Amino acid sequence: MASLITCPHCGVRPKEEFAIRGDASLVRPAPSASDEAWHDYVYVRANPRGRTVEHWHHVAGCRRFLVVERDTVTHEVYSVVDGAAAAREAQR
Amino acid sequence: MVRDYNNRHALDQKLRGAPKPAHADHLEVGHWQAIATVLAHVGLDAAVERALSSTPDLSLRYCGPGEWLVVSGVDTPVGLMRRLDMLCGTQAHVVDHSDGRVLMRLSGPSARQILAKGIGVDLHPAAFVLCGSTNVLCGHIAINLARTGEDVFELIVSRSFAESLFEDLMTMGRPFDLSAAFSE
Ligand SMILES: [Zn+2]
Repeated sequence: MASLITCPHCGVRPKEEFAIRGDASLVRPAPSASDEAWHDYVYVRANPRGRTVEHWHHVAGCRRFLVVERDTVTHEVYSVVDGAAAAREAQR
Repeated sequence: MVRDYNNRHALDQKLRGAPKPAHADHLEVGHWQAIATVLAHVGLDAAVERALSSTPDLSLRYCGPGEWLVVSGVDTPVGLMRRLDMLCGTQAHVVDHSDGRVLMRLSGPSARQILAKGIGVDLHPAAFVLCGSTNVLCGHIAINLARTGEDVFELIVSRSFAESLFEDLMTMGRPFDLSAAFSE
């Protein structure tokens, strides 16, 4: 696993300071969406090989949610951005 | 049954008794230290930081965006709260943490070597600059670490973890003959 994460607020930190909160690419279905859509959103996860986007929580640091893009094969970290900034970016 | 409320320091049991002489590497624990958390309202980070850093007696410890621990060496906890309310009461949430946190001051030529055993940030003088501060994991305990002097670091920890952190630090400092005492 990627062992060093560059937090935009705290700098380079060991992965032990973080909690991984799962896939960040999921889009929440509309409240009226089908049960299947909600079931998939809540329970069904891929186990990807390669590039993934995840929510990481910097528990022992700034306590911010971050969006980390990393490779599960090479352990390379491509980008780390603040969750709020990523959400603002996505809304545009 | 009526019991008297005894307000004891979190490390009272560890450090009680006659003060031992401080060695070159020394861990000093303040008896009562005024500490508050300040969390700026959305969008007011810069304004709050300006208000706080304009006051010379207050020491700001960075926690995260818009969030600081404010340490005062001259105020009582009540006095610090009053001062912070006046400075930024309308722009931030201010919470008194004087009883909830414990401040330890580690100083000496081996301070960095001791800390490096439990902390995953670069402590080199050029990387961890004077007056720098950050939240960091020490062993398994989340602390706020600040560099307040050439070889002086201040650790702020939750009260409930203070005893555990204290024992960890003493173990980390054993090869360097680390001593510990309450400050005068
Ligand atoms: Zn962080």
